[in-house]
Amino acid sequence: MALVLPSKSTKEKTKLYVEHEMTHMEDAQLVQDFLGGNHQAFNKLIGRWQDRIHHFAYRYFANNNDAAEITQKTFIKAYQKLNTLEDAGKFGSWLYRIANNLCLDELKRVGRKRSTSLEALKTAPQSETERAADSALMRNEAIVLLHKALLQLPNEQRMVVIMKEYEGLTFREIAEILDESENTIKSRLYYGLRALRKTFDSWNINKEVFSYD
Amino acid sequence: MTKEEARELFIDFMYGGLDIDTQQQLEAFVQQHPDLKDELDGLMETRQVLQQMPVESPTEQFVMMDPAVAKSSFRSSFEKLWTALSPKSGFGRAGFAVASFVFLFIITGSLTNLNFSMQDGEISLRFGEQPPAQVGYSAAQVEMIINQVQAENAELVAEFVQAAQEQQETQFQQTLASFASYLDEQRTSDLELIDYSLANLQETTYNRFVQTDQVLGEIIETVSYNQ
Repeated sequence: MALVLPSKSTKEKTKLYVEHEMTHMEDAQLVQDFLGGNHQAFNKLIGRWQDRIHHFAYRYFANNNDAAEITQKTFIKAYQKLNTLEDAGKFGSWLYRIANNLCLDELKRVGRKRSTSLEALKTAPQSETERAADSALMRNEAIVLLHKALLQLPNEQRMVVIMKEYEGLTFREIAEILDESENTIKSRLYYGLRALRKTFDSWNINKEVFSYD
Repeated sequence: MTKEEARELFIDFMYGGLDIDTQQQLEAFVQQHPDLKDELDGLMETRQVLQQMPVESPTEQFVMMDPAVAKSSFRSSFEKLWTALSPKSGFGRAGFAVASFVFLFIITGSLTNLNFSMQDGEISLRFGEQPPAQVGYSAAQVEMIINQVQAENAELVAEFVQAAQEQQETQFQQTLASFASYLDEQRTSDLELIDYSLANLQETTYNRFVQTDQVLGEIIETVSYNQ
């Protein structure tokens, strides 16, 4: 396989950087407005961040209800604690940190149940996927297994994989959220992807499975 | 560049974080090492597989209610309801006041057990439970009742004592009879035992006499034979 890089031109990088900074500035302004007594500013923040937090939580639980619950709790906590946010420009990172902590709490709470189901899956995946004749069914099963594989990662690796792969956060932002160095984040991402690779190989999951439409 | 150094660059390489020179160096190095190339290809394919996971968007938009607005909203709703229900004219307001008073009086009366009575030209108003009507007896009646109760008690006690005595006597007689029967049985048993022992003794004595005779006979026979 030839190496194909998702390389971005300098112009694209500059554009992304400007958009990123603009987002931070708008968030900071809304936070200041809210702290100044404008309640509607917080609802605007919800409107800007609800989808992202929901998607973030969804990657953890693969369940819309759980994701909605985590999202709701995240915004309630943010509403109550917004006056403790030191740098209004880092509202997004702060919000992700809250959501991440709530997700971890929820995983701890239901961990036993989830780990049991994972145990049951450890032997099942290969035969399940092999027996599936219907390609749509196979694809759905692969998606379920994909999520299970993600859940098998250690928490710190899973968080980084989700934040980088699905939320598109920069290494610096992830490092801020998790209060770690960028090198640590990169290292966790590397080991997380490697572990996922092994799991995918053992469960016969590859990108061809998803192209059987 | 070593393999470990190359691996450390994989993440930056995959996410476009390397400058052109380093990127080209890494690509050239990886091409020379198939194991590194396989690993890097595997990591990139893993990223592609991860991107296949669908996501669902929230079904409803959250809105945070302003607590002050919510409170004032409740208050204004209550005021509107009150305005709509309250009468507008003076007569209506007076009637509403009287009706409210009567209603309040009835509710209070039911809660406090209000008792309204008229007797001997007197009006009495009481709250709470009514005391039971008082029933009195004269001294003679009380004395008679006490005497009667005492007499009944004495009679009962006498009957009880007599019944107890009869029961005790009966039990004593039964006990004596049982004891006598027991002694008789015991005596019979002892006599039987003595009789049995005597018979045994007699039989044993007889056996020993026989054995002695036999031994003496043998001795006599032996002595006679030797002579």
